[in-house]
Amino acid sequence: MRQQGDFLQVLQEQGYAMDNLFPSTNGNGVSRHAEVTTGTTVFAMKYADGVLVAGDRRATAGNVVMYDRTDKVLEIDRFSVMAIAGVPATAFEMARVLEHSFKYYRRSQLQDMSFEGKLRALSTLLKNNAPAALAGTGTVVPVFAGYDRLEECGKIFFYDILGAEFEAVEYAVSGSGSTTIRGILYYMNRWGNDPVAQMNEENALTFVLRLMTSAAEFDSATGGVDAQAQLYPIIKRVSAEGVRTIPAERLKTLFSEKVLT
Amino acid sequence: MYEEPYRWIEAVANRRNYLDDQFSQGNPLVAVSFAQGILLVTVNRGTEKIYEIYDRIALGGMGHPADLEKLRYTLLDMAHVEGFQRSPSDVTASRLMKNGLAPVIKEAFEEIFKAPYITKILLAEVGPTQDRDRLFSINYDGMYEEQREFGVLAASSAIRESLLVEWKAQGKPTSLQKALEVSLRLWGISSLLQTSSPSLDTEESVPTPSEATSETIIPDDEAITVRIQETLDKESLECVLLDRESGKMETYRALSLTELKLLLPQYFEPVKE
Repeated sequence: MRQQGDFLQVLQEQGYAMDNLFPSTNGNGVSRHAEVTTGTTVFAMKYADGVLVAGDRRATAGNVVMYDRTDKVLEIDRFSVMAIAGVPATAFEMARVLEHSFKYYRRSQLQDMSFEGKLRALSTLLKNNAPAALAGTGTVVPVFAGYDRLEECGKIFFYDILGAEFEAVEYAVSGSGSTTIRGILYYMNRWGNDPVAQMNEENALTFVLRLMTSAAEFDSATGGVDAQAQLYPIIKRVSAEGVRTIPAERLKTLFSEKVLT
Repeated sequence: MYEEPYRWIEAVANRRNYLDDQFSQGNPLVAVSFAQGILLVTVNRGTEKIYEIYDRIALGGMGHPADLEKLRYTLLDMAHVEGFQRSPSDVTASRLMKNGLAPVIKEAFEEIFKAPYITKILLAEVGPTQDRDRLFSINYDGMYEEQREFGVLAASSAIRESLLVEWKAQGKPTSLQKALEVSLRLWGISSLLQTSSPSLDTEESVPTPSEATSETIIPDDEAITVRIQETLDKESLECVLLDRESGKMETYRALSLTELKLLLPQYFEPVKE
């Protein structure tokens, strides 16, 4: 008997295997020099009205820029967002599995999945993906942010490649560009004149754009802001009203008024 | 004993009588397509009868809750696997009905050593424009029909026919409030015909459905209003809107009691003289 409302089990009964991307020989013998697309800057931070989740737009393979319009901040349902760093194929697949799992649970069980349940679902996917993660062909290191309607607050979680889950008090970062901004976030929070968690939306958005620009400065795999090509990071706001994407127009104004000058 | 063809036909006929009798106490369900989307209306005695199946698809049911639940799961599995493996736009009510429900229900009905599903089901799919709305209803024997504007689950096919005639006779709803009024009125008519007319019993003994239809008299508006008011005193009104204008992938929205009271004041505050 299957667990009630478990979409992954329904899929598996239909012959679907999440481990299609796994190496066939126990994770050994996989050539390390096959270039996989990775490299990113994604992060989530709490501010006065909720949580902001941001991601750059660049996808790379080795030192080749593959794509400059990637959306790495994925809306999973009305109250949760997953920002992905790592191998896009696996990461997008995980996001799709999660999205359908939450929908399926809500529709079949006639109640929303709890916030803990959602975290657990992502953790399970990562754990099942461990062999591919260790082999390097399916490494995914996501940041999960959502609004917990039971406790009425925004929450941020980050993961290691094996599925261990950690709650972030103020912010969480992931991807190759994250080392740069992690330092800035720490410094600003500790000695800045405005702690990140108390910033209003305008200041928080400006800060996010500045962080992204800094990350792009030091990490070739991070896209940053390209005002000429109208390329801005994807920024989503998670609050009691649900998930909302910040329009590019707003970022454009903020960028030219507060970041460039 | 059922090996002979004659015995089998007799057994199936008995089954029809048994099932018709089961539905005589059921609550009708009405679905109406209008500019803003599709509205599904029914009344329940504690167990919900309208459910979300997928982003643009809702299910309305009549009959035994356990059977309905089983078939609902079949549809949920089908829809979500399809939506995941292909795309949400590949999930259609037409395919769910024709490939998913109809064969299962028909097989159970004709497998005379097993119990049939005691359910009638309506699937509503809201399209990007009103002309792409689809309503499918299936009977307990696996026969299904496709409609564009109006769908109904009623106790008997005679009542169903008279409701279709009545729907065509009245003006098409243009707003959510109008759609609610129209649906609830048709629900009331269906409910009255089901209990007042002896057509259910006569159908068995005198099988002249065409005659029964022509003889059906639509009750007057006062009787309908009274029936609705009396029912809503004891049971709860269940209304779901598949909202074309939601601006999101998901369109399903159950109307709250507060909202319903605002839209239908005439039924919630009965004037007693």
